[in-house]
Amino acid sequence: MVLQAVIIILLAPFIQGVIKKTKARMQNRIGPSIWQPYYDVIKFMKKDAVLSHHSSWLSIVTPYIVFVSIVTAGIFIPTYSLHNEWNFIGDVILVVYLFGVARFFTALTALDAGGSFGGMGSSREMALSAIAEPALLLALFSVCLSSETMKLPHLVVSLTHNGWDWFAPSYVLAFFAMLIVVIAETGRIPVDNPDTHLELTMVHEGMLLEYSGRYLGLMMWAAQIKQLLLLSLFINLFFPWGIEGEHIFVSFLLYVAKLLALGMLLAFIETMYAKIRLFKVPKLLGSSMILSLMAILLRVFE
Amino acid sequence: MEKTIKQWLSRMKQQLGNKVRSMEQNSAQETVMLVEKTELPDVCYFLWHEKKGRLFTMVGNDERDIHGFFALYYVFSFDSFRHFITVKTLIDPLDPTFPSVAVQLPAANWYEREVKDLLGLRPQGHPDPRPLILHGDWPEDLHPLRKDFPLDRHAPRVQSREAFMPYDSEDVTEIPVGPIHAGIIEPGHFRFGAVGDTILHLDARLFFTHRGLEKASEGMPLEKALFLAERTCGVCALSHSTAFAQAVERLGEVTIPPRAAYLRTLFLELERLYNHIGDVGNVCAGFGFAVGVSQGARLKETLQQLNERVAGHRYLRGVVRLGGVRIDITEREKEEIAQTLAYVKKEFQELVDLLFSHDIAMNRMATTGVLSLEHANQLEVVGVAARASGRSVDIRRDQPYAAYDQVSFHVPVYEVGDVLSRVRIRVDEVLESIAIIEQLLHSLPSGDTFTPLPPLPPYRSAMGWCESPRGETVHWLMVGPDQTIYRYRIRSATYSNWPAVPLAVKGNIVPDFPLINKSFELCYACCDR
Repeated sequence: MVLQAVIIILLAPFIQGVIKKTKARMQNRIGPSIWQPYYDVIKFMKKDAVLSHHSSWLSIVTPYIVFVSIVTAGIFIPTYSLHNEWNFIGDVILVVYLFGVARFFTALTALDAGGSFGGMGSSREMALSAIAEPALLLALFSVCLSSETMKLPHLVVSLTHNGWDWFAPSYVLAFFAMLIVVIAETGRIPVDNPDTHLELTMVHEGMLLEYSGRYLGLMMWAAQIKQLLLLSLFINLFFPWGIEGEHIFVSFLLYVAKLLALGMLLAFIETMYAKIRLFKVPKLLGSSMILSLMAILLRVFE
Repeated sequence: MEKTIKQWLSRMKQQLGNKVRSMEQNSAQETVMLVEKTELPDVCYFLWHEKKGRLFTMVGNDERDIHGFFALYYVFSFDSFRHFITVKTLIDPLDPTFPSVAVQLPAANWYEREVKDLLGLRPQGHPDPRPLILHGDWPEDLHPLRKDFPLDRHAPRVQSREAFMPYDSEDVTEIPVGPIHAGIIEPGHFRFGAVGDTILHLDARLFFTHRGLEKASEGMPLEKALFLAERTCGVCALSHSTAFAQAVERLGEVTIPPRAAYLRTLFLELERLYNHIGDVGNVCAGFGFAVGVSQGARLKETLQQLNERVAGHRYLRGVVRLGGVRIDITEREKEEIAQTLAYVKKEFQELVDLLFSHDIAMNRMATTGVLSLEHANQLEVVGVAARASGRSVDIRRDQPYAAYDQVSFHVPVYEVGDVLSRVRIRVDEVLESIAIIEQLLHSLPSGDTFTPLPPLPPYRSAMGWCESPRGETVHWLMVGPDQTIYRYRIRSATYSNWPAVPLAVKGNIVPDFPLINKSFELCYACCDR
């Protein structure tokens, strides 16, 4: 359990680095080294934090709450192994709501210092998450229906044993529904643009503008961990092969390879698409919900 | 033509009757009407509304040591006659006020506020009395462009008089943005009044880095002032230096040799090319289309490296000299330009195909940030923004300079006025520019590259103009008795177009503002003279 938490924390910047590098290469740029996110985290941890005079205790507490709740969620998500002694505590719904706690505090603290971009970011984030959260839950439900459990490791076990039918329509629908949710939740194009400097267009980044030093480092790290967790969830729900391997080392390598492949897919999507108009995002997430609903219906009537 | 202009002018004199005190020819292309200041609004409105003249520029001048008065010049351009009419009025220093023209002619808004700030001539009845060039913390009774204000005077700061649109409703959120931004861009403060994410009103506060270039130029020898003109703005450096050189040449009544005119045209088009291509790429950043951004940047870099190889400077500084050009090109360089342009044309075409076939990109650009033709006409918008809104102005065609009357080109016009139209204008103009350069290279005449200048007549004004990548730029110049600058007024395309941006963003959503702003692509330095 502890090992899993440590691996998640340490692996997250690497995946971020690979995604950034892939994007840069696809855009004809050389791009920063894949280790750059580590350097950034180390740099931020060394720096003093500057706090606005108008901010309250929330600004100090939030980075820790967010970091801890995301890492806690990570404990319940199967990554490379199914042996997890904490299974009995949490299930899919707990994971979604731990993400919700992090989101709530991020959005609340964005209002704390009274900056205009923080307010804009948090109002947009909350408006979008009102649709993104049910979309994530529905997508998960559509998968859970097949194994009749909400516990993730049990779910994955039953998936590996019974297996998905690659050609079942419900599988394909759930796959795309989940992919849309992963993109939205990781704040990527076409929903949000993680690389922009245009404050007026920001959603997630807008809420981080007031942080500095180690607080900013923690928030960015937490965002990278959340991205890793969503990718892990996606991988183990749709490509769980190898997670039950004899050698834990082999299954770990397989896990990392799958992460890299999925990360590159995200980078590819991000390069191919442009950011859609803010008011079209609910439609995109709505289509994810409809895909999930159809997957559930198909599953029920099968 | 000569006869029709004469007839047209004398008819105009009849129509205006005794409102005009005198009418005289300042140059072959410019007629000056002297009017009493009380008649100023009527005469200007007549020229603008009845005669369809475009407000070209407006200059305030401290001429107290010449004849004891301040002077105001409202210049109107009549493109169909290729003629300018300047309405001049004298203002008594004891009563430094004049009736505002901006009440009827919205385009005069900024000019009159500028005259109020810098010369202390108060436009009476002006709809917007806030300070413009000098910010609210500058003392109200200090006017730096008056001749008795020493260049090295330090102004004390006072309690700020800055004011923004007040909102009564609690539903309106005020969003202050800038003047410091996250990207590497110049300072500008934008204050949105928004309901949710929809923009109700935008206050744009510019002129944060006013440099006093016009003041600094006074008393400067012309050769040196050319370098000052060139440094008005980084990305339209050549347009500014050309406009200044043309003003000087017009004052000295010299014609530059044909080879120099061709070379100026060639370099001006190279300037337009690297700007337009870079701008098409930059618009993509407004919706996070990274491929477009990096391809645009790459092609812009290719063109700037070409500039450096041919002219010795990436931003084409030092190309123009008074009376001609400083840089000549060889046969090999002609070949190199042709080759690079062929490559750029092909690659740019690919970028454009990619962009225009991208559903999300098209969706983001279409119907966003519409500037109506009516607004564009009232504010005398110029350049790309004007042509995208159906206003067909291009000073290269309307009042040709350099060698633009020797080449054939088409001026694209779109009607819709949205971001997409402005991008389309740039794309079409890139192809036109390449075609112009091909013609120039094909028929480049041989000969001298400059003509020496005669001594210039003191206290006479002349104008030089140039279609910069952003639109027409006008330099108004008056030389003193010792061949130094007496008054120099730069009116850049940006100065004309900024007031249109708040009108175009109204009703759009806040996250679309960067995209709209990029599609206008106005520079701040051109305003912060």
